[in-house]
Amino acid sequence: MAKCTINGKEVEVKDGTTIIQAMSGEKQDWQHGKVAHYCWHPGLSVAGVCRLCMVEIEGNPRVQIACNTVVTEGMKINNTSEKVKDAAKWGLDFHLINHPLDCPICDQAGECGLQDQYMEFGKYTPEMSEKKVKKHKVVDLGPTVVLDSERCILCSRCVRFTEEVSKTNELGIFNRGDHSEIGTHAGMELNNKYSLNTVDICPVGALTSKDFRFKQRVWYLKDAETVCNGCSTGCNVKVYFNKEGMFRVKPVFNKDVNSYWMCDDGRDIYKFVNKESRLLKAKKKTTGGNWEEMFPGAAAKELSSTVKAAGDGLALVVTGQYTNEEYEALFTNLKTKKVFHWVNSPEKHNDFDGLLIRGDKNPNTKGLQAVMQKHGITPGNWADLVAGLQSGNIKTLIVAAPEIAAVYPDIKHRVSEFEKAHNLVWLSSTKSVEVDLLTGNIWQIPMKSFVEKDGTFVNHGGLAQKFKKATTVVSEALNLGEAALLMSGAQIMVKPETSPFVETARPADRVTLENRKKNEFVFKRGTL
Amino acid sequence: MIKVTENQQSAQFQLSAEGTAKVKSELTRYEDKMSAIIPALYIAQNENRGYISESVIKHLSQIMDIPESRINEVFKFYTMFNQKPVGRYHVQVCGTLSCHINGAPDLIDHLCKELKVKKDQITEDGKYTVSRVECLGSCGTAPMMQVNEVYYENLTKESAMNILRGLK
Amino acid sequence: METKLLSEFYHIDEYRGLAGYKAKGGYDVLAKALKMAPQAIIDEVKASGLRGRGGAGFSTGTKWSFLPKNNEPRYLLCNADEGEPGTFKDRMMMERAPHQLIEGMIISAFAIGSKKSYIYVRGEYFYAIGVLRKALEEAYAAGLLGKNILGSGFDHDMDVYSGAGAYICGEETGMISSLEGLKGQPKLKPPFPAVQGYLRKPTIVNNVETLAAVIPIIRDGAAAYKKFGTEKSTGTKFFSLSGNVNKPGNYEVPLGYSLKDMIFKLGGGLKPGRKLKAVIPGGSSAPVLTAEEAERATLDYECMAQMGTMLGSGAIIVIDDANCMVDCLGNLTHFYHHESCGQCTPCREGTGWLDKIVHSILSGKGRLADIDLLVKVADNMKGRTICALSDAAALPVLSFVQKFRPEFEYFVREGRSQVTGKTKEAVHGEMHH
Repeated sequence: MAKCTINGKEVEVKDGTTIIQAMSGEKQDWQHGKVAHYCWHPGLSVAGVCRLCMVEIEGNPRVQIACNTVVTEGMKINNTSEKVKDAAKWGLDFHLINHPLDCPICDQAGECGLQDQYMEFGKYTPEMSEKKVKKHKVVDLGPTVVLDSERCILCSRCVRFTEEVSKTNELGIFNRGDHSEIGTHAGMELNNKYSLNTVDICPVGALTSKDFRFKQRVWYLKDAETVCNGCSTGCNVKVYFNKEGMFRVKPVFNKDVNSYWMCDDGRDIYKFVNKESRLLKAKKKTTGGNWEEMFPGAAAKELSSTVKAAGDGLALVVTGQYTNEEYEALFTNLKTKKVFHWVNSPEKHNDFDGLLIRGDKNPNTKGLQAVMQKHGITPGNWADLVAGLQSGNIKTLIVAAPEIAAVYPDIKHRVSEFEKAHNLVWLSSTKSVEVDLLTGNIWQIPMKSFVEKDGTFVNHGGLAQKFKKATTVVSEALNLGEAALLMSGAQIMVKPETSPFVETARPADRVTLENRKKNEFVFKRGTL
Repeated sequence: MIKVTENQQSAQFQLSAEGTAKVKSELTRYEDKMSAIIPALYIAQNENRGYISESVIKHLSQIMDIPESRINEVFKFYTMFNQKPVGRYHVQVCGTLSCHINGAPDLIDHLCKELKVKKDQITEDGKYTVSRVECLGSCGTAPMMQVNEVYYENLTKESAMNILRGLK
Repeated sequence: METKLLSEFYHIDEYRGLAGYKAKGGYDVLAKALKMAPQAIIDEVKASGLRGRGGAGFSTGTKWSFLPKNNEPRYLLCNADEGEPGTFKDRMMMERAPHQLIEGMIISAFAIGSKKSYIYVRGEYFYAIGVLRKALEEAYAAGLLGKNILGSGFDHDMDVYSGAGAYICGEETGMISSLEGLKGQPKLKPPFPAVQGYLRKPTIVNNVETLAAVIPIIRDGAAAYKKFGTEKSTGTKFFSLSGNVNKPGNYEVPLGYSLKDMIFKLGGGLKPGRKLKAVIPGGSSAPVLTAEEAERATLDYECMAQMGTMLGSGAIIVIDDANCMVDCLGNLTHFYHHESCGQCTPCREGTGWLDKIVHSILSGKGRLADIDLLVKVADNMKGRTICALSDAAALPVLSFVQKFRPEFEYFVREGRSQVTGKTKEAVHGEMHH
């Protein structure tokens, strides 16, 4: 351990800690004083190239960079003196002299390192009156990322990421001096499963996400932390949303689960939360009839008589995509011995790519198993379910369907099996083309998506992660527990949720993927 | 050096058997195989009309088992690796201070005029490319030029042209 | 008068070959050194006051003593990247006396306990590389390299590595990066190469001339070496004289030699009708001296430092009064702009900015504020980067503007050079690479 003084306050740090690590603290809350920086990232090696994180160390005539200087016992550090401020101001100045004035059209505006530092140093007048260096703009780097070389400040974070984290080595910095540019060689794509992390770590708008490009200004977005429901790793993420829906997902640091990163598949989970993917209203169909819409609470209440009548003939099919609390309420209120665990691609469940992606594409398989065990439930063989449906032994089937159907490749087959039930209750947050086509006595009840409820997911390693509700997108959706309660005949009142952040009254077709697709355009490799 | 255009036509490049053998021996010559990149680029450049194309990088990446991005970084960093074809004789005239105050600018202009070629372009007969380069470490014999691997020093406009015309 | 301590036999063609080298006492000092204790060699070099001849002028013996005193394998790298404008002494040494360098390197390697060394030669020096490779073959064949050198039990392997055209590879960690197969970009210090250098192992990087100088030090002793030069700048040095002098070339003189004598005696003075205007004493990165300053300067580290410049690589560029100083500065800013590796922001952007401002002035479009701007930008490029190229680019700008300001002001006001009356065509977007 070493004791040092930072801006007058005494701080104790572990041996080998650099000044910037000491200032950022374990929680990266910079309580000892903020240091401007671009190239340093706690999850990557030290580059020391932006030269912005200047600090003054007593006894040293020159300012030093904080990211590569190790704290020694008794070191006195400050970054508030005029000398440091001047060095940092000029460091910023050099970054800006060739930087294009793209703010009006740049996605990064509002969360841009250059903007933030510029505002902090007093909005001075730039002194560069020569022609700026011209580089490639709108470079199609791959299926998910766009590059604008003029905006790039060559911090090398993205290159270090592809070298050290994804280990795919697509990116490099080519050419010398102020003609240096980030890029791939000969049109090779930046196309590994973690490409979008480079967009997160890029401090400026050089790397932007094709998916998010031009969709929202970030100051119109609210954010909330939650846990990704893409697979059993359970990366901690932040979702961004406003009245128009949810727009993007970014990782949140968790040293035990996902470090600073998340995979590209997880970036898409917000699409299943937005209205265009959702089951918005409850629907009922009887044999020979059409779909009839109703209020979900009413539908569930109506079902209570059917459930009661089923008696022993009631079966539950559950998937590992709901929270522990919902499973508890489900098994407490709908008592049956016939419980079946719908597992998708079980042969892949132990797959792990070495970084974050796991083959079990359910966030809460372990939680489901634990709750079932607690209730003394042993899930039955799927063959028994099929036989039971065939024979009529199982009269009423309630399916807690997956939120993300895309990772259930067998869904079409299973749904055709479920059709054999005399009464099928399909509980799902997302709409299902397959179920819409079925005939028979079918109810569809909209469920809340994972961002619309508080809950707990247990990941592959047994780590239970609690998350809070972020917002409401479909106000009438129920969570699994409420649905179970209502179907069991409990007399509870369910009021539609309201959310100041999502306009529930706005009809879904006003904000559709098609509408948004109008903003997308075909990218060609940029020419000078 | 010359900026490459995006739509460069280049056929699939392959090193000769001899070239491949040389590259393979460089791979084990140094403590780390990455050190073989510079020697390999020289070998490839000599077999590819004096320049390195995308196809060359891809080929080297395959036979050396080194990511393309790493080889491309080294290639584009150094002045002596050409991004566009050059004439059979690459006439590199030094233009830094000592040569500059000893008549280098006039010499370069003279050569370009006599050979009827612009800087960094190739003469019509494919024989010469004239470039202005930085200090070649021959300041005491200024002005001077490097043609491929050979230094020609203490030049005058006449002696320089005589040398060039004399090259087969 | 020249003092040919190292260059005594450079004029003999055969000296290049092993036989000719040995005939003049070559490798006798190696035999002597191999019988000494390695530490004794280091002490002798330290005592001699030998300072790095490549540019930094750091005490060689002290640098060697930074190595860890354990059995960790360590490397000796000879910096033959000679890129500092005005410098051409190492080329001569390698082309005329490759074995001198090799012998000096083996002695140094023995002293620091290194089993492998590389001579990193700039790529343009094809001829020198060829000469060195041939000399290495001869040395190996004669048992002077490889296993059990001269029966001493000391093994050592040496190889030549060719650069590919980058001034920044003359920076010691830039050279290490290049040798490792990466772009030649300097590394963050700390750690310093002596602790973690080539492939993270302890590494000593020394200039060609420094390593050759080890030979007379071990042959005649530190005291004899100190008889040359001044108290703090001992020994002899090669000075590369170039520019507007009649007899440019490499001259070996004791340190402390008069710069005026170098230019007017050894250098043969200026062309008829020309007057001395400015002298850059230590390679283009050294602040320029006015004629008056140059005529009272002596070529040693202290005097140069005292006059606000540096001895550097010992490249003396003589500029006469037919030259426009703004034009000369434009030549240098172009050089640094071309050679910046691009890693850290102040240098990458600053070298470009300085170049553009000076060329703006040269094209007749300069503003008066530009002159002060040059000073401001250059000031803020100093001391804030990974390596000294940023300082090297800033120092000429600061010294040229400080000492020749009226010329700059004239150019801005009148739109043309005060000396030549010419305006340079601004060529935007013209760039190399």
